[in-house]
Amino acid sequence: MADLKNKRIITVALTGAWPKKENNPNVPMTPAEISEDIYDCWQAGAAVAHMHMRDDNGNGTMDVNKFRETVELLRKNHPDCDIVLNMTTSGDLNATEETRQIHLKELRPEMGSYDCGSMNWMNSGLFINSPKFLEELGKNMQEWGVKPEIEAFDPGMIANAAYYLKKGVLKAPLHFQFCMGCANGIVGNTKNLVFMKETMESLCPGSTWSCFGVGHSAMEIMYAGIAMGGHIRVGMEDNVMYAKGQLAESNRQFVERAKRAIEEFGCQVATPDEAREILSIQK
Amino acid sequence: MSWGPCFMYYICPQCGKKFKYATDLIPEFGEAFGKCPACGTMGAFEKEGARTLDDLDYEEVE
Repeated sequence: MADLKNKRIITVALTGAWPKKENNPNVPMTPAEISEDIYDCWQAGAAVAHMHMRDDNGNGTMDVNKFRETVELLRKNHPDCDIVLNMTTSGDLNATEETRQIHLKELRPEMGSYDCGSMNWMNSGLFINSPKFLEELGKNMQEWGVKPEIEAFDPGMIANAAYYLKKGVLKAPLHFQFCMGCANGIVGNTKNLVFMKETMESLCPGSTWSCFGVGHSAMEIMYAGIAMGGHIRVGMEDNVMYAKGQLAESNRQFVERAKRAIEEFGCQVATPDEAREILSIQK
Repeated sequence: MSWGPCFMYYICPQCGKKFKYATDLIPEFGEAFGKCPACGTMGAFEKEGARTLDDLDYEEVE
């Protein structure tokens, strides 16, 4: 295996739970659209696909059958695609603790999101990740062989991960996704990204990390993340605009830009197998 | 999970322009947050949230 020090993982977050076709007609919504988009982004350099599903009305859903259909279409139509699948556990604020996990149990993706704390969401709702749920989810992910991607919206969530690590709910090495610029989370700028990284290194040494910024902070966080040795996430879950006043044409467009930035910085884009090695995922 | 940026949406009572500010820019803009990018008049607040269905009608102020 090549030296992994200068490899950067591109995660593509294709759909999310929020943007609709009215926001950008290129957001993939159906299992067929999402599976084709995963393949397209894999060809462009993405090593990890972060997956959300939508119901038939375009709203976020944790319907296990939608996840299953998407994976089956990808496997059937593109058996050469070895991208790491990372399934959300937070695709619908009204989902139950059971429906937030059942797809991990049944489909056994290599990764799943683990939102390490609760927060007010958009000043209008609650994003609940109770202690009971996080303990259960962490233990189940270990049992099911699903690598947690610990989404941290503020430094307190990193401290919470350190607690669950100490309790054995999470197992080292941890992998963090720093979610920057979300309402009620930490503001997306370079200074705060440095603080998130230093907090992680202090509380959970030996962890790997990735980052993204929503909206106007996307570019700053992407470039800062690359420069600071992190991995990066791009895609229409976080940004439907490619640039100010310019709708994204596709998720591939984001992946291609991330690849260019990584390579022009002097690093290389990690393949899915290299990502597995960096993240300590057993294929 | 992210829902992308959270915006406050405004319409200008002076020139009628529709515009929006991301809420995480409140500290950066200070007193200027909510002002019309075209004429500088304080906008009339309309709504807030993640990208609304008519989001593209509103110019993003950065």
